[in-house]
Amino acid sequence: MLATCPFSKKLEQLVDSVEAAPPSMAFPLMPVGQACDMGHGADGVPLIDPRIFDSWEFMRNPYPYYRIMRDHYPVFRDKLHNCYYVTRYQDVTDCYFDDEGFNTIPKGSSSGVLGNTQLELSGIEHKRRRNLYGQHLVGQSLDLRIPVIERLADEWITGWDQQAWEGTAVRDKNGVRTVEIGKAFANEFPISVVCGVLGFPDEARGQFYYWYNSMMAGLGGSETQKQGLEARQDLEDYVGELVEARRIKPTYLLDKDGNQVGKDIISKLCETKIDGDYLSTEEITSNIALVVGGGGETTRGAILNMWYLLLQHPDQFARVLGDETLWDAVFHETLRHSTPIGGQPRHNSFDLTMHGVHVPAGSLMNMVDFSANRDERIFKDPGIFDIFRDDLYTGKLLRSGFAGEGRHSHMAFGVGPHLCPGAWIAHQEATIGSRILARRMKNPRIRVSDMPKDIDGVSLAPMGLISVRELWLDYDLA
Amino acid sequence: MDGEADTTLAAGERPIWSGDMTIGRNGVAVARRAVTKGAGYRSYEIHQRMRVQQSTEKLNPLRLVSADFAVSPYPVFEILRENYPCYRDWIGNSYWISRYDDVTSVFVDDANYESRSKLWFYGLEDFGRDLREHLPVLVSQAKSLDANASPVANAILDSIASLGEADLAIEFAARYPIELLMRTLNLPAADFDAFAERYWSMQRGFDWDPVAESQGEQAMRELADYFRPLLESRRANPGTDMISAIAGLDLADGPATAEDVVVTLLEADHETLHGGLANLWFLLLAHPDQLHQVAHDRRLLKFAWFETLRHSTPVLTARRFARHEVERFGLLLPEGAMVVCAAGAANHDPRIYSEPDRFIVERKDLCPREPRGQYRADGLPAGLAFGLGKPTRYPAVPLDRPRSIYALTRDTAVAASNAILDRLPGLRLAPGTTPSLRSLRIGEMHTCWRLPVKFD
Repeated sequence: MLATCPFSKKLEQLVDSVEAAPPSMAFPLMPVGQACDMGHGADGVPLIDPRIFDSWEFMRNPYPYYRIMRDHYPVFRDKLHNCYYVTRYQDVTDCYFDDEGFNTIPKGSSSGVLGNTQLELSGIEHKRRRNLYGQHLVGQSLDLRIPVIERLADEWITGWDQQAWEGTAVRDKNGVRTVEIGKAFANEFPISVVCGVLGFPDEARGQFYYWYNSMMAGLGGSETQKQGLEARQDLEDYVGELVEARRIKPTYLLDKDGNQVGKDIISKLCETKIDGDYLSTEEITSNIALVVGGGGETTRGAILNMWYLLLQHPDQFARVLGDETLWDAVFHETLRHSTPIGGQPRHNSFDLTMHGVHVPAGSLMNMVDFSANRDERIFKDPGIFDIFRDDLYTGKLLRSGFAGEGRHSHMAFGVGPHLCPGAWIAHQEATIGSRILARRMKNPRIRVSDMPKDIDGVSLAPMGLISVRELWLDYDLA
Repeated sequence: MDGEADTTLAAGERPIWSGDMTIGRNGVAVARRAVTKGAGYRSYEIHQRMRVQQSTEKLNPLRLVSADFAVSPYPVFEILRENYPCYRDWIGNSYWISRYDDVTSVFVDDANYESRSKLWFYGLEDFGRDLREHLPVLVSQAKSLDANASPVANAILDSIASLGEADLAIEFAARYPIELLMRTLNLPAADFDAFAERYWSMQRGFDWDPVAESQGEQAMRELADYFRPLLESRRANPGTDMISAIAGLDLADGPATAEDVVVTLLEADHETLHGGLANLWFLLLAHPDQLHQVAHDRRLLKFAWFETLRHSTPVLTARRFARHEVERFGLLLPEGAMVVCAAGAANHDPRIYSEPDRFIVERKDLCPREPRGQYRADGLPAGLAFGLGKPTRYPAVPLDRPRSIYALTRDTAVAASNAILDRLPGLRLAPGTTPSLRSLRIGEMHTCWRLPVKFD
């Protein structure tokens, strides 16, 4: 008000502008694919304001921001969140392969709720346990479980005709059935598969559904954290008792005809030895918690995302109906286009300089799978959903990843030592489930009126960083 | 590991990894420096699972970066201090320490925690050298502050004394440290606006705001260009100012450059003097009885300064980084972990200060000296505004060594406050105004930005 010199005037303007700003930092919601303006550096390069990472705009429309980071800041230093983001495909895969240079010691947010799991071991300790747990989810062991997966999927969908749904997730009107695929299938189908292969009683499914939801909600260390920790504790108590019981009396998986096809995973882990000692109950329950957390939420997201994307591309859907083997391509292209798990934290073991950014040892480096999967250097027009794209590898998942013949594997499961051990079973669940769904539903289409909309109020909301939570479909009964 | 000690190394040294190597099929060179300590890599299990009792649901970590926190941090500090002595902030990837004993223990623990320079936060470690520790630089700064504190304050007050009203925060507290700095560097008075703007951009740019960072980097380069001819001419004809002192240094790795001058200014900063002065006068004007006391016994100004830095420190938090894995506060802090020492919370710790939220100039439970180490002189705790410093390479009290920068700042602030009391009689808050403290941005100085006053 009385400022007499230019410096004081400038300072006054600065204070004015801060005081006039809205109480909470709000980023404008942009059309999908466009980044909002966060300023430019001296050389005209767009800047990234790290507060964007906590914003709703970023949750729904992250990809243009990741593109800026890929193009201008391949190793982006976020001083507000005290971490670095690695965003290019080639860098992410390199770091995933190098588990000595980029370790997984328990500093990530999952260690709070999930406990000390495979996610956070490194080197030889990780490798020997990986083989113990992982062997039950691949190859012959997996083949044994496919009948179980088929039976469960069939039961769920047949249940639409019989069960009383109280009008929420399934309703019929004028020969058209409206189904919310999440509640009616995708939410609990994966968890019932998890319960099945782990050997939990069927009655426990509902409880498991609650537990893994609570654990997932508690991950970020917010108000829901206590609920997450309590769920984790309850799950551990429950599994602990089961483990003790299975140590004495193992249980078996059954096929369609009621024949024993092999022991369930808990029973097998009970008789597994490491260094001549049986695994402790604590160790088994920790990793069961990881399987419950990892095996439910992600597969559910994958199934819902697959249907959401595919039904928005009717021409591709028609081709898939004509050729069921195409579901594999749908699965992989969905996970490339919109993966349910966005990346993994790593910590660099050594001081390093990457793309000119010096990273001191022990820093948190986030490997962004979301961004790697949309890297223009690898995938042409990465924003387009195309199950026939010729640069995506859609064959059998490989721990080494795949790069050849102009094709690359997507990063949704990671790659290298920490490749998701549930990748193969998740693949089976999603494709078997979708195949059965597609056979049962005649002329399915998205019920747009019941779905969340984008900012224009008309088009369907983008998925962004969050998988589809609810998917309303209509299909003809006759 | 233990059985494989490399005999070519000195005792106690054991490289876990050394040499350079390149990873990456796309040509990203990853230089791996020789590492002779625990380097963050461990293959064995650390059990750090949180139990239900350890949940922190009373504080959502988003509150620590909210606009509300920038305005009033003390309610959040109380939640931290009284519930979570070591709060794991999952979103900010840090550990918050908030009790007095804990904060001071981290400040003095140079063996386990390192502080990182503003230049590191800028990501410009190779830009220049911080020369503050060199005795000629310290001496020239101290001499300048002693000689100029009162004259500069009086000169600024001259311009407003006749008006009858002024904004003490913007027109005095913000201006004063920069005018002093210009005298210390012996810069022409005409350059004030250009210099002040660049200096501010530089000081505001080192933290997380990318726009400010970009402007700050540019300002640093412009300042270096500005200092370059001055440095050369004073190397030939040295005066008594700080630039001459820097130019005359005999440094092992080459003569001082203009960039070194910029870095020295960057690290030295002005925040405690600016913010402390504004907060001191905000508090005195808001407590007229205390102002009355101080005005009648000027010796109390020094204690008012200490109490201000305790009650409303402008620097709320200081960051430290674990040099290696540290077991403390019931947790295993991994190598590189960022520990946020909340000085503002420690200064209001009821375990240490009675009625910590009250501003009492003649407080009996506050040490009337600068803090030096965690031990408390006279058995009393000190307000934390500067951190606690680390041991320097000089002996404790050499004859030629000036007072610590903390004491220098105090004396400068006291001199300025004396001038205010002399020149602005009947000083009072402008009627109808209710000044308050705030940070302009998360992590920035918490101070009073507008202090409209009237005087006779």
